[in-house]
Amino acid sequence: MKKLLATFLNDAKLSFRGLYFYIEMGMAALFILIMLFVVPENFETRQNIFLVDMTPDQNLSRLLSNSDMQVFDNRLELEKALEEDRSGVGLVLSMEKDKLIYDFVLQGFESERMVETIKASFEAQLRRVSAGDFGGPDIEYLKEKTSPLSNRTQVLPVYLAMNIGLMGLFIIAAYIFLDKEEGVIKAYAVAPVSIFKYLLSKTMVMIMTGLLTSIPIVLLLHGLDVNYLFMIIAVISFSFFGSALGLLISSFFDTMMKAMGALYLVIMLMLIPTLSYFMPSFNPTWMKLLPSYHMLFTFRDLLVNQGQSSYILTSSLGLFVLGVFALYLATLKFKQSLTV
Amino acid sequence: MIKVNNLSHRYDKEKNKAVNDISFEVKSGEIFGFLGPSGAGKSTTQGILTGLLPLQEGTVQVAGFDMKKPSAQLFDKIGVSFEQSNVYNKLTALENLDFYKKLFNTETLDSMTLLKWVGLDHVAHKKAGEFSKGMKHRLTFVRSMLNQPELWFLDEPTTGLDPAIGSGIKQLIKERNKKGATVFLTTHNMQVADELCDRIAFIIDGKIVKMDSPRQLKLEYGEKLVEVDYYEDSKVVKSKFSLVKPEDLSQLNDIIQNRKIEMMHTKEATLEEIFIKVTGRGLI
Repeated sequence: MKKLLATFLNDAKLSFRGLYFYIEMGMAALFILIMLFVVPENFETRQNIFLVDMTPDQNLSRLLSNSDMQVFDNRLELEKALEEDRSGVGLVLSMEKDKLIYDFVLQGFESERMVETIKASFEAQLRRVSAGDFGGPDIEYLKEKTSPLSNRTQVLPVYLAMNIGLMGLFIIAAYIFLDKEEGVIKAYAVAPVSIFKYLLSKTMVMIMTGLLTSIPIVLLLHGLDVNYLFMIIAVISFSFFGSALGLLISSFFDTMMKAMGALYLVIMLMLIPTLSYFMPSFNPTWMKLLPSYHMLFTFRDLLVNQGQSSYILTSSLGLFVLGVFALYLATLKFKQSLTV
Repeated sequence: MIKVNNLSHRYDKEKNKAVNDISFEVKSGEIFGFLGPSGAGKSTTQGILTGLLPLQEGTVQVAGFDMKKPSAQLFDKIGVSFEQSNVYNKLTALENLDFYKKLFNTETLDSMTLLKWVGLDHVAHKKAGEFSKGMKHRLTFVRSMLNQPELWFLDEPTTGLDPAIGSGIKQLIKERNKKGATVFLTTHNMQVADELCDRIAFIIDGKIVKMDSPRQLKLEYGEKLVEVDYYEDSKVVKSKFSLVKPEDLSQLNDIIQNRKIEMMHTKEATLEEIFIKVTGRGLI
């Protein structure tokens, strides 16, 4: 334990004197600044509708009227408004033999899906004003409904998973190859201390950096409305897993250049679950085999459910166990290759 | 202290063995020199003896430990100085030594004292990354003394050092040896080996071709010669005479009696000359 502590303190000192630590800290600071001062709490999703009502009594435009709708006298004015607001949608109403005719005037870049949505939305409004609101289905929630994440904090789980799980994988490899290049590993290998302690100490440095670059960000962007004990457990577990995986990958190569391809491939694979995160309808079973999937959704659960979910602890424990296994294999492989 | 039997080692994808069926013993308190040109198998052998390389074939015992499965306790007893300096560039000289001190279970020497011994005390608080090659080499060397090793592995300990510093390092080796340390010295510098070693082994192409004391090797392979600078018609003439051949002896006797001699000394064969004679190869 004394030797592990000495090695960890030495590695931490080296990390503070190195570039990578400050790159990570700088990126964390930049992320906070962008999130706080550049990205709005929620993105504007309003779509203006420009209407020309050519029906005889112009009753419909009054019935349909809401804050997103602007009424114009003629089509020329409508087209001018559409040119000024490129996200707007134009609508021209007219009557032909007691039959309502409605023409949409669009920008030209709308997808078929979007056109259908606009059409369906308008027809629904028409039904509402012509037949009265018949009421919708009642919606019940199995659990108490949670407040949705703001657009700003919705990005946070992606940043946390990327920074802790994936960048750690790359940076720990850089630390190992730097030590190898300096030859200090050889000196360490002829001291009465195991390679396992050397590798474990490196993962401890990554956990320390992970905590320093994640907890303050969550605190600043999400406040105190998070179970920080669970958050710390998740950060420790995912940092440990990411760095152990980085060590395992590095153990198969003798230079950083040779390891780069494999590291890049793994990082890219680990990024795939962000698709499910941003598009919940795309959630195939195989996606759940990727550890980063659980990192993303654990962080999301932490932010949404305030740590009430058992999923947080299960995924933290699961990835920690996988990390132990990866570290064990890395130790075996490094024993053969680290000092050669 | 070291027992090696039928040791062989082959690197991955290499056709030839780096070390091929070598056997030797190093006695406690001895300075044993392992001599050979680059690529002869010296560093591979030292790598196996220090546990840096796995033992593939043969049996090796170091300080009583079987190197098939070396115990961590072994590393409290040995010290290893590498040919290539390997120190933390971002740490100061003192921090480098203080860190390694904490890894040993035995009593260690004071870091500052060690730095003083190799003339680095005035730069103790300077980062090793700012050191010259020679300074880093001295730091690597002195780090291997931290645990006062019973068995001390030294790989080219004086390479790249100026003569005064090199002489100081040799003096330190002699002193530690007098205090009981066994030294396994790997070098291609025959002068260093000649000055320090009790016994030497010549290794070439992974095989030990000769092993004996430097004195015995000189007696066996060296020619007994006398080199004389004498005046002849007011010019200095240089000649070598064998102390064995009768005609040379008679000629030498004539010069001593009838000529004015400027300089005369016996000339022993150097270890380098003996190495070339034994192996048919040079040391580079």
